[in-house]
Amino acid sequence: MTLILDILILFIMPFIMLGIIKKTKAFWGGRKGASIFQPLYDVLRLMKKESIYSETTSLIFKLSPIVNFSVVIFASLFVPLINGYSILNIPFAFIIFSYILGFAKFFSLIASLDTGSSFEGMGASREACFSTIVEPAFFISMASIIALTKVTSFEALKMILQNSGIYGILITILTVVTLFIMLLIEGCRVPVDDPATHLELTMIHEVMILDNSGADLGFILWASAIKMFLFGALITSLIIPDNLPVWISCLLFILSISLLAFVIGTIESSIARFRMTHIFEFIFIMSIMALLILTLVTYRIYGN
Amino acid sequence: MVMELYFIALLIPVFCGLLSIFIKEKHKMKVCSIFAGISALLLLKPAIYSIYTGEELSYSFYISEIFGRINFVIDPLSAFFILVISIMSFVGIIYANGYIKPYLNKKLNTSSHTFFLMLLTASMLGVVTCQNALAFLILWEIMSLSSFFLVIFEEDKKEVLNSGIKYLVYMHISVIFIMCAFALMSNISNSFNFSDFTNAINQNSHFKDIVFILSFIGFGTKAGFIPFHNWLPDAHPSAPSHISGIMSGVMIKTGIYGILRTIVITGIPSKIVAYCVLIIAITSALWGVLYAISQHDIKKLLAYHSLENIGIIGIGIGIGMLGVIYHNGYTAILGFSGAILHVLNHSIFKMLLFFCAGNVYNKTHTRNIELLGGLIKKMPYTAALFIIGSIAICAIPPFNGFVSEFLIYSGVVLGMFKSNIALFLTLVITLSSLALIGTMAILCFTKVVGVVFLGNPRSKEAENIDSDASKVMTVPMTFLAILTFVIGIFPQFAVSVVAIPTLNILGFNTIPEEIKSIFELANLISVLCFIFLAILAITFGIRFLINRKTKKHTTWGCGYNKINSRMQYTASSYAGLFISTLKPLFKRVPHIKKPKDLFPKIAYYEVEIEDLEEAYIIKPLIKLDEKILSKFERIQNGNMQQYILFGLVFLILAILGLIFIG
Repeated sequence: MTLILDILILFIMPFIMLGIIKKTKAFWGGRKGASIFQPLYDVLRLMKKESIYSETTSLIFKLSPIVNFSVVIFASLFVPLINGYSILNIPFAFIIFSYILGFAKFFSLIASLDTGSSFEGMGASREACFSTIVEPAFFISMASIIALTKVTSFEALKMILQNSGIYGILITILTVVTLFIMLLIEGCRVPVDDPATHLELTMIHEVMILDNSGADLGFILWASAIKMFLFGALITSLIIPDNLPVWISCLLFILSISLLAFVIGTIESSIARFRMTHIFEFIFIMSIMALLILTLVTYRIYGN
Repeated sequence: MVMELYFIALLIPVFCGLLSIFIKEKHKMKVCSIFAGISALLLLKPAIYSIYTGEELSYSFYISEIFGRINFVIDPLSAFFILVISIMSFVGIIYANGYIKPYLNKKLNTSSHTFFLMLLTASMLGVVTCQNALAFLILWEIMSLSSFFLVIFEEDKKEVLNSGIKYLVYMHISVIFIMCAFALMSNISNSFNFSDFTNAINQNSHFKDIVFILSFIGFGTKAGFIPFHNWLPDAHPSAPSHISGIMSGVMIKTGIYGILRTIVITGIPSKIVAYCVLIIAITSALWGVLYAISQHDIKKLLAYHSLENIGIIGIGIGIGMLGVIYHNGYTAILGFSGAILHVLNHSIFKMLLFFCAGNVYNKTHTRNIELLGGLIKKMPYTAALFIIGSIAICAIPPFNGFVSEFLIYSGVVLGMFKSNIALFLTLVITLSSLALIGTMAILCFTKVVGVVFLGNPRSKEAENIDSDASKVMTVPMTFLAILTFVIGIFPQFAVSVVAIPTLNILGFNTIPEEIKSIFELANLISVLCFIFLAILAITFGIRFLINRKTKKHTTWGCGYNKINSRMQYTASSYAGLFISTLKPLFKRVPHIKKPKDLFPKIAYYEVEIEDLEEAYIIKPLIKLDEKILSKFERIQNGNMQQYILFGLVFLILAILGLIFIG
């Protein structure tokens, strides 16, 4: 039962999350905005369209969307969804999670270089550069949480609140912030990247997929929506209490993802994209948060 | 009987090397590869027997008073290295058949090349089994010298000769440290045998650390740990590609073998030394990948990646030692088994990558990646193999690099549960450095793949490639690529090969409970890989069921339709953002030629990135050395009579010294 719900949520919720972000932006902008299902319709429409390939590209360019999509589907198996349980509960999940996402990253980077374009390499360079700062911070925070809870799968996240009192609350808050920044980076949202912009020189992720079209683009958009949703799911699993009836926790899950989308939309409406040179500073906030988590955990375990 | 087999297999390459001198140039490599194949086949039996049963096979003989008994022992650790050396050298020699073709009939000394190639194989096999210190040093020296002659194959080029000499100097500095370690041990044990060393060290445990440090420096120079790494990025680009492959894939691993053998002899050193090893390893790995990103010479870049991977192996060893020191069986076993498995994995994918680089060099005659591009269309096999190799070296599942790194990672994570504050923080630093290394490797290899093989050709050399590499070259490479994939999806097999050598290092006599963990992790990886491949296949199917309509057009150029290859993103600009954020870590050496006159003809601006260590440590040292030694220039005046006089004076002084001291 939970499994079916998990799969349903995994396939539909990412689009709704995107839809809510767009709706929120429209709301703050004083517009009515499109339906929250619009991203889903967009992808469905793209699926029917033909793909245009550049004469420069090779097989890599065609493989990249497929690899991207399979990777996020695979990665979603380890992420706790409803009730805080993941479909596959495996040890050392965060390592496999980030390395398999590295596979997708590898392919999308070389696919963007495959076009021989003057812009797409720029996006690839930025994406590769930023992820070198993001990953260590993610690993530090996950390692601290694992040391605290002594559980190596992603279910460690929901156990922070349960067993450490005031430290648990502090660490939870810091982890939420860390993962939220990671969501903004990996999901290509403002203030790191603006998915709505159309100026090639300032884009990161969007510029890498300039040459993708049709069903390929559909798969890429779908994959990046799921990827953002997965980080959202990681955040919600920190907060949602355990051992609730399935329906209630399912509702809570949807509600909290929607709330998260609302927050993202509000941020996008209230601040502008950072200048490229300032993005590093923003990402370093994540590293600092991770180090704070490490400090707190160290104090909690070895303090006395 | 088995040991006789081993000795035959050891002598075959030597014999073949001598034989090859008398054969026609065209057939030299063929004969060598046949004999190397026979030798590898013969070695399979003793190696596999020892790895799976854990038994020691030994043979000893007596030459003279000085040496004492010379022991050749195949224990599981040696057996593992025999397996790697024999198979990988064989693959390398097959590849050499194709690679050396353009060099034939060009008055290069191919006789000495094949002779030293076979001698290198034999000496490496000898080094990993010989357990007599003196004989070990002799074999070690043969190995270093023969590889030196292999590096300077194109001796008419000045930079080749320079880097060859640099390599020679480094190796001889390193061997001094190894000699010191052995001399110390043989002094307290009155023997040259490793087994006597163990007993002596057990009785005088205060020598443990100093012996370990000395041999770590000695063997670490061979392996390429920082700060003794400087020969690597020079020697590899200068050597022909099959030699770079064998050197990087196999020969530097004898350094790792030396470190592991020292651990077997002396036992685990003290806490502080283990921490130092870990720190050195982490620095090496980070340094290697950092400089790899800044390099645009494809072979130099790969050489720096050897440094990175040696660092990862070192991290495994360091974690394993800390596991033993803190009595954490899981961490110890996972650390060491990850390190040993990474030795195998690195030799596979690094050889694959060097061979691909060799193919590219063979066809385009340039190693500068800024001049390449779009090679996937002309050389599809090489491109596919290079991509497989790069995914494997970035430690991405489902390829083999991930398996060994995953073992090390899980050792680190399990180590955190049972630790004190210092160890905990060290482990977290290790973990995040490994993550950083992984992402930086992705940055580096997407650069190489993207710039060399994808996009549009950037020069005439890249455009005018006639065909892909010949079959003699692609077949051994395909074998390596299949191996990376098979180890990636069936790690159980690879893990069973490293399990008993790991116990051998840790000195367990019984099989402990913790060894199961590596098999469990291997099973986990295997299952996950199959799930991933299934998802990939399903997505692939769905993608092409939905919609197969395609159209061709030029790349989007912001409305501009006549894009040419010079508008592409280059390697320097791809790495530029990253390098500019880490400016203080690089020394930029600009080469400028300013435009002159009214109609300037040549003008360029070039930036070379120099290794900080070379710029601020090695070069000042050499300068100092020159300053001091130039005072003695007068001695070297070319007058033979005076030289003889010096010898005489030395002899008299030596005798006088003996009289007074003795």
